[in-house]
Amino acid sequence: MAASEQAGDDSLYPIAVLIDELRNEDVQLRLNSIKKLSTIALALGVERTRKELIPFLTDTIYDEDEVLLALAEQLGSFTPLVGGNEHVHCLLPPLESLATVEETVVRDKAVDSLRIIAAQHSASDLETHFIPLVKRLAAGDWFTSRTSSCGLFSVCYPRASSSVKAELRQHFRNLCGDDTPMVRRAAAGKLGEFAKVVEPEYLKSDLIPLFTALSSDEQDSVRLLAVEACSNMASLLEPDDIEQLIMPTLREAAHDKSWRVRYMVADKFNELQKAVGPELTKNDLVPAFQSLLKDCEAEVRAASAHKVKDFCQNLPADSREQIIMSNILPCVKDLVSDGNQHVKSAMASVIMGLSPILGKDGTIEHLLPLFLTQLKDECPEVRLNIISNLDCVNEVIGIKQLSQSLLPAIVELAEDTKWRVRLAIIEYMPLLAGQLGQEFFDEKLNTLCMTWLVDHVYAIREAATLNLKKLVEKFDEDWAQKTVIPKITQMATDQNYLHRMTCLFCFNVLSQVCSEELVSKMMLPTIVAMANDAVANVRFNVAKTLQILIPKLDQSVIQIKVKPCLEKLKTDQDNDVQFYALEALDVTDKWSVYFRTTNGINRNDPRVHYGISRIEKTVASWRRHGLDFAVPKTK
Amino acid sequence: MSDMSNLDRQIENLRRCEIIKESEVKALCAKVREILVEESNVQRVDSPVTVCGDIHGQFYDLRELFKVGGDVPDTNYLFLGDFVDRGFYSVETFLLMLALKVRYPDRITLIRGNHESRQITQVYGFYDECLRKYGSITVWRYCIEVFDYLSLSAIIDGKIFCVHGGLSPSIQTLDQIRGIDRKQEVPHDGPMCDLLWSDPEETQGWGVSPRGAGYLFGSDVVQQFNTSNDISLICRAHQLVMEGYKWHFNETVLTVWCGNVAAIFELDEHLKQDFKIFEAAPQEQRGIPSKKPQANYFL
Repeated sequence: MAASEQAGDDSLYPIAVLIDELRNEDVQLRLNSIKKLSTIALALGVERTRKELIPFLTDTIYDEDEVLLALAEQLGSFTPLVGGNEHVHCLLPPLESLATVEETVVRDKAVDSLRIIAAQHSASDLETHFIPLVKRLAAGDWFTSRTSSCGLFSVCYPRASSSVKAELRQHFRNLCGDDTPMVRRAAAGKLGEFAKVVEPEYLKSDLIPLFTALSSDEQDSVRLLAVEACSNMASLLEPDDIEQLIMPTLREAAHDKSWRVRYMVADKFNELQKAVGPELTKNDLVPAFQSLLKDCEAEVRAASAHKVKDFCQNLPADSREQIIMSNILPCVKDLVSDGNQHVKSAMASVIMGLSPILGKDGTIEHLLPLFLTQLKDECPEVRLNIISNLDCVNEVIGIKQLSQSLLPAIVELAEDTKWRVRLAIIEYMPLLAGQLGQEFFDEKLNTLCMTWLVDHVYAIREAATLNLKKLVEKFDEDWAQKTVIPKITQMATDQNYLHRMTCLFCFNVLSQVCSEELVSKMMLPTIVAMANDAVANVRFNVAKTLQILIPKLDQSVIQIKVKPCLEKLKTDQDNDVQFYALEALDVTDKWSVYFRTTNGINRNDPRVHYGISRIEKTVASWRRHGLDFAVPKTK
Repeated sequence: MSDMSNLDRQIENLRRCEIIKESEVKALCAKVREILVEESNVQRVDSPVTVCGDIHGQFYDLRELFKVGGDVPDTNYLFLGDFVDRGFYSVETFLLMLALKVRYPDRITLIRGNHESRQITQVYGFYDECLRKYGSITVWRYCIEVFDYLSLSAIIDGKIFCVHGGLSPSIQTLDQIRGIDRKQEVPHDGPMCDLLWSDPEETQGWGVSPRGAGYLFGSDVVQQFNTSNDISLICRAHQLVMEGYKWHFNETVLTVWCGNVAAIFELDEHLKQDFKIFEAAPQEQRGIPSKKPQANYFL
């Protein structure tokens, strides 16, 4: 009994410390304590949390922003700790204070938490506690509290009585007409979500006028947020109403004098298109889209260029082709040779996607010339964007149509002075290989892949090595044996030690996708010979490579070829060579024991094969952690 | 073995630009001192080796450098000092260098720059950074102790003399450098100061350095020094050069620099030269330094 009391005291001690720390002068300690607030509450129990902790927090709200932010976040998930939904309203006082502070991130977090706990209020608690809070904030003296209130309307409106609803709509109307732009911005930002919960008749009578007013606000920062609400509002209305109530505003926004508003229209274009439906798209959005594609600001052109593919795809099927041909394609043609590289690059990232929409003949006649222009663009990013989307075209017309122009573009990118551009094109090689086929690849691209192996930047050599592995997987081992391995073998006698090491790195990764026979006949002799290299770095990489090869090799080959080589490297004068040779020898020995115990078992049995790859991985990881391990006994 | 795996873990952390514990820094600095104390003031380095200039706490440029040049231990490196100050990540940069040095002492050589000094690091950022990241100056103290152990210069295959700054009027032979007692703060004048502070200048003889320490040395001084010590090239850092590297005096002196445009100087086993020029790490590859102090441990 005494012992358990003792334990009880001990377990409460940290809580006492935490509570103490809530008042500490050091902000860091207060912050830590606030982050553990749920622990404190749990220890205090629901009643003391409600009666002591929450009032205490409400009183000490004048703290550093960092502490307040943590507090605002914690309170959003505090309901169980104050006794569940019936007591949730006791969290409102501290959150109300937090929703009025000067720092925006704290306020926003408090609003987030208020939105979460709104749903946990019963209908009567909502009217008694929550809605009065919303009204107080909405009528607050400071813009901070009015701004915060905007985000709370949509969460309490649906469950309010009709008289209260009318009051709430009136409050929201006041906020939309607030003197402070910050408040109007917040209201404009929340207009869309509020519209979704307001009854249709009030949507038209109350909210549409607000939307129209905000859309012609003197501040462009308010107008552009109204554009965001546009698609929300439109999705709630019938086509006739959209035409009458929304379209005039939208048309104006697309020609707004502020480019930021036009940018917003361009950026939201696909959502707008879905919301207004096919007929209005044909009559109204097509001209608006055309004008955005021709906008005088490059940012607007780039944003709308990004939307071209989705816009075309979502056009009504009956008029899609005609609209693309007569309205969109002329703009696309201009954008392909735009003066701004971001615009061209945006176009290049989606233009290939038009190919499936236009079909084979359309692609060849209209798009192919544009692809070819972009493939020759001076900006590498444009060319890369085309090449990275080749698969879209391949499915429609086959890549052969492009291959003649593709090749110079690839070659040029492959030789770009910026190594990150070279890296990007290497990554598309396996894709290209798959689409162009082995014959074309051997003829035109193989040389490039081999040249990258001796690139003067290490990251390129590394990527080229991994690329070879992917190519062997794509083609086959026969191809590896004929085309790749002879070239790699030549590198074993290169003048530069970095290139000789690349040869080892290649064997290293290729051994994982080649057969035992190929590894032991075509790779191993070269690797073993390199153990005599004059440069230590090459010699310890021989040891590292052999260690990786071991599970691939036959026991007799290991005993006759690998072990003697490693034994010799073990006595090398260089410390690192010794280290890696010893490590490899250790794995060899463990492997031999393992192999003896499993000998006679069919190595092609997937279970055995699985075991082998497991041990390969564990050997390496256990060794890294300095652990020894017992070899599993097989039955 | 467990020491080694511990060290490998620290290297992994540092490669991700994460600091290691203060107690680990203490142990690391003790180990690196044991290694450095054995090195000569003119440390012998064998080719092949890649020579790199000032890093100045630019961790992400160092990572870019390894991407271009290859990683330790596969590629051998010689760093010409000025690991710290100016950049946001002097702590991570210097500790990574030290950890690599302890793990692969034969694969990486570090020599001292004029910023590896108590006085300079208190003005140019390393001191403040240690204080900010560890909450005390203990780590700075461990590091400045290591500074005093760093070698003053290196010689590759007996032919290429490598130093942070340049030559000194009080030094004619390599043996004179070997005779310096380097285990001290960088002095305000004298041979040790000059090696870390001097610059080449298109003149003859010696000139007063505008830096207030070290000298300006001319082509005849270099010719004399190279002839009497049978060396073909002096390779140094210390000065910003726009193109990443710059030849002086008919290719007898070379400046390499890792800044916005960086160069590394690759020598293969036949001393065949290759420059790799690359740009600073692109913005999306860089982390943003956190303004907040590291959190204290509580409970």
